[in-house]
Amino acid sequence: MKVSIRRFASLALVAACVAALVAAVAAARTTRSSADIKNGGTLTIGLAEEPDALDPTLARTFVGRIVFLAMCEKLYDLDSHLNIVPQLATALPQVSKDKLTYTIKVRNGVKFNDGTTFNAAAVKTTLERDLTFKGSVRASEISPINSVDAPNATTVVLHLKAPYSPLTAQLADRAGMILSPKALASGGTFAQNPVCVGPFMFKDRVAGDHITLVKSPYYYDKAKVHLASVVYRIMTDPSSRTQALRAGDIQVEDRIQSTDVPTLQKDSAITVKKAITIGYQGLTINIGNKNGLLKPYSNVGTDIAKSQFIRTAFDAALDRTTINKVVFGGLNQPDCYPIAPVSPWYKPTTKGLACDLHANVNLAKQLVKASGIANPTVSLMLGGTDPVNARLGQVIQSMESAAGIKVSVTPTQFTTALNRADAGTFEAFAVGWSGRVDPDGNIFGFVATPGTLNDSGFTNSKLDYILNGARKSLTTKSRTTLYRAAMQIIHRQRPLIYLYHPVNYYGVTKKVDGVQIYGDGLIRINNAGYTK
Amino acid sequence: MGGFLLRKAGAALIVVFLSSIVVFIGIRALPGDPAVALGAENRDPAVMAAIRHSYGLDKPLPVQYVKWISKALRGDLGLDSRQLPVGHTIVTRLPITLELAFLAILIGTVIGVLAGVIAAVRRGKLSDHTATASALVGLSVPHFWLGLMMIIAFAVDLHWLPASGYVSFRAHPIGNLEHLLMPSLVLGTGLSAVLMRQTRSAMLNSLSADYVRTARAKGLSERVVIGKHALRNSLITVTTVVGLQLGALISGAVITEQIFVIPGFGRLTLDAVNERDYTLLQGVVLVAATGYVVVNLLVDVAYSLLNPRIRVTGATNQ
Repeated sequence: MKVSIRRFASLALVAACVAALVAAVAAARTTRSSADIKNGGTLTIGLAEEPDALDPTLARTFVGRIVFLAMCEKLYDLDSHLNIVPQLATALPQVSKDKLTYTIKVRNGVKFNDGTTFNAAAVKTTLERDLTFKGSVRASEISPINSVDAPNATTVVLHLKAPYSPLTAQLADRAGMILSPKALASGGTFAQNPVCVGPFMFKDRVAGDHITLVKSPYYYDKAKVHLASVVYRIMTDPSSRTQALRAGDIQVEDRIQSTDVPTLQKDSAITVKKAITIGYQGLTINIGNKNGLLKPYSNVGTDIAKSQFIRTAFDAALDRTTINKVVFGGLNQPDCYPIAPVSPWYKPTTKGLACDLHANVNLAKQLVKASGIANPTVSLMLGGTDPVNARLGQVIQSMESAAGIKVSVTPTQFTTALNRADAGTFEAFAVGWSGRVDPDGNIFGFVATPGTLNDSGFTNSKLDYILNGARKSLTTKSRTTLYRAAMQIIHRQRPLIYLYHPVNYYGVTKKVDGVQIYGDGLIRINNAGYTK
Repeated sequence: MGGFLLRKAGAALIVVFLSSIVVFIGIRALPGDPAVALGAENRDPAVMAAIRHSYGLDKPLPVQYVKWISKALRGDLGLDSRQLPVGHTIVTRLPITLELAFLAILIGTVIGVLAGVIAAVRRGKLSDHTATASALVGLSVPHFWLGLMMIIAFAVDLHWLPASGYVSFRAHPIGNLEHLLMPSLVLGTGLSAVLMRQTRSAMLNSLSADYVRTARAKGLSERVVIGKHALRNSLITVTTVVGLQLGALISGAVITEQIFVIPGFGRLTLDAVNERDYTLLQGVVLVAATGYVVVNLLVDVAYSLLNPRIRVTGATNQ
C-alpha cells in the first residue's frame, strides 16, 4: 500500500511537472505570438451585411456593432467568457441599497478621437441624448433611467425610476458608447462623421461599399494598437466573400456560410475560427396572439395553441441532433434553452432541467392521443425563402409526421414573416434571435406579458412575477434561481420551442494574428496585426 | 425645331412626374413594413413609432409624396437608413455601373463582331461551328456561375486579378482595369454571343448580295470586299442590337456587381429593396426612370436632327 502511495505521489509529481511545462510553453507561445505582430498595415474585413447609421443612438443592426467595437468604446465591455468588465468605467457600478442609484466611476485622462476630453459630463450628454433624441433606439433599452448627474469629472450617477438589473449589460452595448459632445454640438449628422473614444477613428464611408477607420493618435492605449487602418468591406454574397478571402482581397471573413466551411478548413493559409453564439433559433408557437402584438391576448384556438399536449408532442417528435446534421451539416449547437452554453448563466440556470436532443416518437404519439385531438395539424411559417429554411421546414415536417402531426410549411420573406408574427396571423414560426449577454434580453421580451417581442401572445402571471423579480434582483444567486424557475415554466408551457444555438464561423488569414471572436459573435481587431 | 423640342421636353416632364407617382406607390406596395425591416431585431412599439416618424411614414400618403417630391425637385433626395445623403450615394455609384457597361459593350462588340465575321466568311467550316457553339455556350451560361469560375481560376488559384472590389480610374488606372476586367468579361459574354449570331446572319446576307458580287467582279481584294462592303452594311444591324442590349446590360449588372462586390448602381438598387429603404429606393428608381426618359428624349432629338421628316411628321401629327 505504501508503495502504491509513493508511486501515486511520484506520478502526481511528474504530471504536475508536465502540466507546468505545457503551461510555460503555452505562455511562451502566447508571448511570442504577441511580440511577433508588427505595426502598420491595413486589415480588410468582409462584412456579411451593411451596417446602418454609425450613430450608437440610432444604430439597430448586429453588423454595425462590429464596426463600433473598433471606434466607440463603452462604459463596460465583455471578456472572453462574456463577463461584464469595465472599459471606459473604472469599476462595475456601485448600486444603492434601494437599487435606484447607480454610481459609475469613469477613466481620467482619456480623449475622444477629436482631441477633446472624455469625462463624466460627456457620459451625461450621451445618455441624455439616448433617452431623448428623436428616433433613438436606445431610449427603450435604458428607459428605467430617470436622470443622470455628473457631480465631478470622473463620477456619473444614474437615478432610476425602478430597479433594473440588466442596466449594466445595456451599458456594455451601444447604450454605453460615449459620443464626443463637440461632435454632437457641431450640428452635422453624427453618423456621417462619428467621434467616440476608440483605438481607431472614422475616416470615410462609401455607402454599400466600405467603411475606413484609421489608428487614433488620441487613444489612451495606443501602444497596443498595431494596425494603421481597418477597412470594412460590404460583401453580402457569401461565396464572393469566401473567394475574396482565398484570393487575399480581404484578411477576415465575417460569418462563413456553412457550405464553405469545409473548403476553408482545408486551406492552409486560412484559420477558421468558431464561435457558439449567445443567440438561438427556435419555433415561436402562437398561443394567444389573436389580436396582434401587445393587444389583449386570448387563445387562438388552433390545435397547437389550445393543447399543451400537442405542443409537448411536437417538441418530443423533434430530433435536434438530426436537424443539425441534415440541415446544417452538424455545424450548429443543438439545445433546448434560450441561454447558450457559452454564457456564464447557462449551467446554473439549466442545471437539472431535461433536454432531450433526440426524438421520442412513442412519447409524442402518446401525447397526441392524450390530447384528444385526432389528426392534429400545424402550419409552420419559415422566416425566409432560402434553401436552408426550406430544408429545415421539410425535416420538421417529416419528423412530426412520424408522430401523427401534419405540418404544412409556408416559406415567407423575412420582413413579411415578422409582420405576420406581430399581427398574430400564424400558428408556428421558425425564427431566431441574435442573443443578449444578460438572460433578461433572451427571455423577458419573448414570454413576459408586456414583452415587446411576445409574438406567441403568451401570458402567465407566475412567469411575469418571476421575470419582473429577476429584473429587480441584483445578486447573481437570486437571479439564477429566478431564471431557472422561469425556464421550467417556459419548458412546460412551450410558447417557444428552442432548437439550437447558431455557431458562427469566421475566416482569418494566417498572416494576421490577434483577431478575437467571443460568444457575442462580434469581430474584435483592436490588438490585431500582421505577423512579422 | 424649337417647338418640337419644347413639346418633347414637356412630354418627358409629364412622364417623369407620372413615374415618380408610380415609383412612390409601387415601393409602398412591396410586402413587409419598412419600419420592421429598419428596426432589425428591435420591435419595441416606441422604436417602431420613432422609425415611422423619422422617415415620415406616419403621415398620410399624399403628404409623404408632396414632401418627398418637393425636396427632390430642389435636388434633395433625403437621408437613407444609414443617415447618408441619397443624392450623393447615387452620384457616386452610377458612374461605376456605366463604366462597367461601357467596358462590357466594348468587349462584347469586339469578340462578337470578330467571331461573327469569321463564322460567316468560313461558313460550314470548323471555325464557324466553333464560333456558333461558343455563342450557344455564352448565351446559356449563367453570369453568377461564370463569375465564380473566373474568380476561382484567375483570383484564387493564379492570383492574376483581384477577386472583388473597385478602385476608381482616377485613383489608380491600372487597378481600375484589373478590378473591372473579369466583371466586364462576364457581362460582355452574353452580349458577344448575341452579337456573334447577329453579325454572322447579317454578314451572310451581305455576302450573298448583288453589291458584294459586283465588288468581287471589279477585282477588289477579299479583305476590302468583306471589311469595306459586307461588314459596313452589317454593322447597322449590330449597332441596333447593341442599343437594345444596353438596358439588359445595366439590369444584368446587378448580378455581376453582386458577385464581384462592385459598389455600382445595380447593387445599390438590390440593397435598397432588401433593406426596404424607401428613401434610397425612391431616389434610385426616380433617377433611373429620369435617365431613361432623358435618353429617349435625346434619341428623339438626334433622330429629328438626322432626319428632318421626323419632326415634320411629328408636327403634322400634332
